[in-house]
Amino acid sequence: MHNFYNWVDRRFPFKEIVHEHLTGYYAPKNFNFLYYFGSMALLVLLIQILSGIFLLSHYHASATQAFDSIQSIMYDVKWGWLIRYLHTTGVSFFFIAIYLHMLRGYLYGSFRSPRELLWIVGYTIYLALMAEAYFGYVLPYGNMSYWGAEVITSIIGAIPYVGHWLSALARGGLGIGDATLNRFMAFHVVLVPLILIGLVVLHVLALHRVGSNNPDGIEINDYRRSDGRPWDGIPFHPYYTVKDTFGAAVFLLLFALVVIYAPTMHGLFIDTANFTPANPLHTPADVTPAWYLSPYYAMLRAIPNKAAGIGMLALAIAIPYAVPWLDRNPVRSSRYRPVYLGMVIILAGSFLGLGWIGMQPAAPALLPPARILLGLYLAFFALLPVVSHFEPTRAVPQRVTA
Amino acid sequence: MRHIVRCAVAGMALSISVLADAANAAVTLEHAHYRFDAATLARGAKLYAEHCLSCHSVRYVRYSRLVPDLGMTKSTVEQTVMLPAGASFDRGMISVMKPVDAKRWFGTAPPDLSLEVRYRGADWVYTYLHSFYWDPQRPSGWNNRLFPNVAMPDVLAHLGGIQDRQGHTLVASALTPAEFDRMTADITAWLRYTSDPSKIKRMALGPYVIGFLVLFAVLAYLLKRAYWRDVER
Amino acid sequence: MNGKKDIESVNSDKREFLTVVTTAVGLAGAGLVSVPFVKSLEPDAAVKAASVVTVDISQLKPGMHLTISWQDKPVIIVHRTPEMLATLKETIPELRDPDNHAPQQPPYCDNPYRSRKPEWLVMARVCTHLCCTPLFEPNKGSVAPGWLGGFHCPCHGSLYDLSGRVFKNVPAPRNMAIPEYEFTDDHKAVKITGMWPKAKLC
Repeated sequence: MHNFYNWVDRRFPFKEIVHEHLTGYYAPKNFNFLYYFGSMALLVLLIQILSGIFLLSHYHASATQAFDSIQSIMYDVKWGWLIRYLHTTGVSFFFIAIYLHMLRGYLYGSFRSPRELLWIVGYTIYLALMAEAYFGYVLPYGNMSYWGAEVITSIIGAIPYVGHWLSALARGGLGIGDATLNRFMAFHVVLVPLILIGLVVLHVLALHRVGSNNPDGIEINDYRRSDGRPWDGIPFHPYYTVKDTFGAAVFLLLFALVVIYAPTMHGLFIDTANFTPANPLHTPADVTPAWYLSPYYAMLRAIPNKAAGIGMLALAIAIPYAVPWLDRNPVRSSRYRPVYLGMVIILAGSFLGLGWIGMQPAAPALLPPARILLGLYLAFFALLPVVSHFEPTRAVPQRVTA
Repeated sequence: MRHIVRCAVAGMALSISVLADAANAAVTLEHAHYRFDAATLARGAKLYAEHCLSCHSVRYVRYSRLVPDLGMTKSTVEQTVMLPAGASFDRGMISVMKPVDAKRWFGTAPPDLSLEVRYRGADWVYTYLHSFYWDPQRPSGWNNRLFPNVAMPDVLAHLGGIQDRQGHTLVASALTPAEFDRMTADITAWLRYTSDPSKIKRMALGPYVIGFLVLFAVLAYLLKRAYWRDVER
Repeated sequence: MNGKKDIESVNSDKREFLTVVTTAVGLAGAGLVSVPFVKSLEPDAAVKAASVVTVDISQLKPGMHLTISWQDKPVIIVHRTPEMLATLKETIPELRDPDNHAPQQPPYCDNPYRSRKPEWLVMARVCTHLCCTPLFEPNKGSVAPGWLGGFHCPCHGSLYDLSGRVFKNVPAPRNMAIPEYEFTDDHKAVKITGMWPKAKLC
């Protein structure tokens, strides 16, 4: 066995890779619960790819056959229902993991120098994930798939000068149909997954270059033993491989509970309107996107002007890219910055509140709260440069705390 | 071509339901009480075949799956459920009513009900069956509190009796209220099954899968703890 | 010092033990989970339903036959006459496997007629040598002097009797395969439901 490893290692940097990224990669020893979600997201990506391949083996991308092909998977294909439910549950768990992963980033200043590029790559993964989810949602061609496609491609049409042309590119025709489904399948199965995998590789490489942050926001590499190992670091393998295995077990347990006992989650994970075929003549009473996109939907609905709404939406989605440069305080972690912690809590709370509003049918009574929450969300980014400059901070320890 | 007709007709039917959506809010749904077990579903299958299948397909459900799923024998299925002409054991439960005839008789094709419970909810379907009333102003004479101006007549009237819009009895029911509730609950349970036959398998496998994962999680935790003992916090 | 060393080695043994057990359980789980994925690629209920074909035999008078394409294979249905059935006893000495030792037919066709009902032959018309479609030669003497009726494969000369049973001294090794089938209640049609799993077509 030992000879086999040596044989491979002469021809491929196997030992080097294992050392650099596993046994010799020292991560802070004080990772908390929020630090599980990076590897959990990777696990879900794997689940999505596997279940996706086997769904693709039975799916028909045609306006007349798509819906029936999904039902054929659910009714006729052996264990097809399991593969389908794994895929739909995976989408929601992916976003739960990513949102908690991002929250960790905000809380502990994981976007701060020298991790700006890490943050940018990560946020791009988030956007790619939203695109992936959107394309995938259209494929079953239920009524919500149809109208969701209709609405989003119309939003593209609002872009000045090139909007109509781009919208026609997206649709492949005047309206949503065969051409749309075929290209969305190409995007969902090949284009975006390749982009996602590539970005994830870049993300991990960027992380390993700068080293992981931790809840105290201090650099463990600043305090090393004589042999170069950080005092507060532990090798990723075996400590975090073993810890993430446990995390994965609990994650899969929750995943299985949903798949087995509540796969539609009462319309949250699979919309009830999608249990009826696409009908160009009948718009569902509420064309709401899936829960993970609903904060943005609430933001859009909060602005009555179409162009202004779309512009604001673009801003709200793009502004987090700027966060590494908006935050000016020398201290990273919200553990030592009570004002910043309050701001992050308000950011998260307003995002959640907007999410709830986005899932409700449109109602005039919801407009004021939506606008307030949108204001709070944007205020985080607008105020951060100023507040971070002046806010009081607590003393930051030199060595990590629990 | 046929598909376009079907789509257009379905579209018209569903566009009528937009009006229904608005009216729905006024009607509180009655809760369907049933135990989701093989006996209930077998009764529901037979009732559905008797009263509904002549107009409403459940095309994704093949007769053959009633044997492993519901524990019925092949001959029982053939005799009590495979009622439409030309029904084939391996094929789906399809109504043989032609869309052309349906349009003529009802103004619209009766929709396939495979996913109806997933789409509207079990309690909606149950309440729907309890909400028919006699309305002389409608061409069929029937209307429904939950689905205003529905094209469907009250096919269970001979069993459940006839009420007017206010709920007064015009014709007494042949069944007792409990029997009628049981019957409509069985049909609802059947449609819950057709919406998602996997429920049977999921419930059966669930405890084992969860049990295995709990075991794995416990082992993984012990393993984690064995290593992390070294790490002083 | 000794005590600490003991704890360390116990710890290491415990770690190893737990690693082995957890990995084993994990791999077992992965193995179990892979089963539904693999099985999902098996022919599904829709394919199986499409594979069930009902053939109208009400117009087939005695002596007549028809061949349909089932799952891209030719299946012949022959309405055999009493004379044809009589030849089945006479061909026995020349047959490789007159008693159906090879499982080329479902159990209900394990008889000299190789069918549910003597006068109806339902058979996959595929030569068990190299899969050609044999010619149906029911007339006496048409293939060679003394020919009582049966099938003759033009590719390499294999011969079969009117039950599809293979002759000795021909390239084909087995009797032609009989699919699973049933008659409809009114006996106006034959419903072919699948290949007999143990049969080798060619």
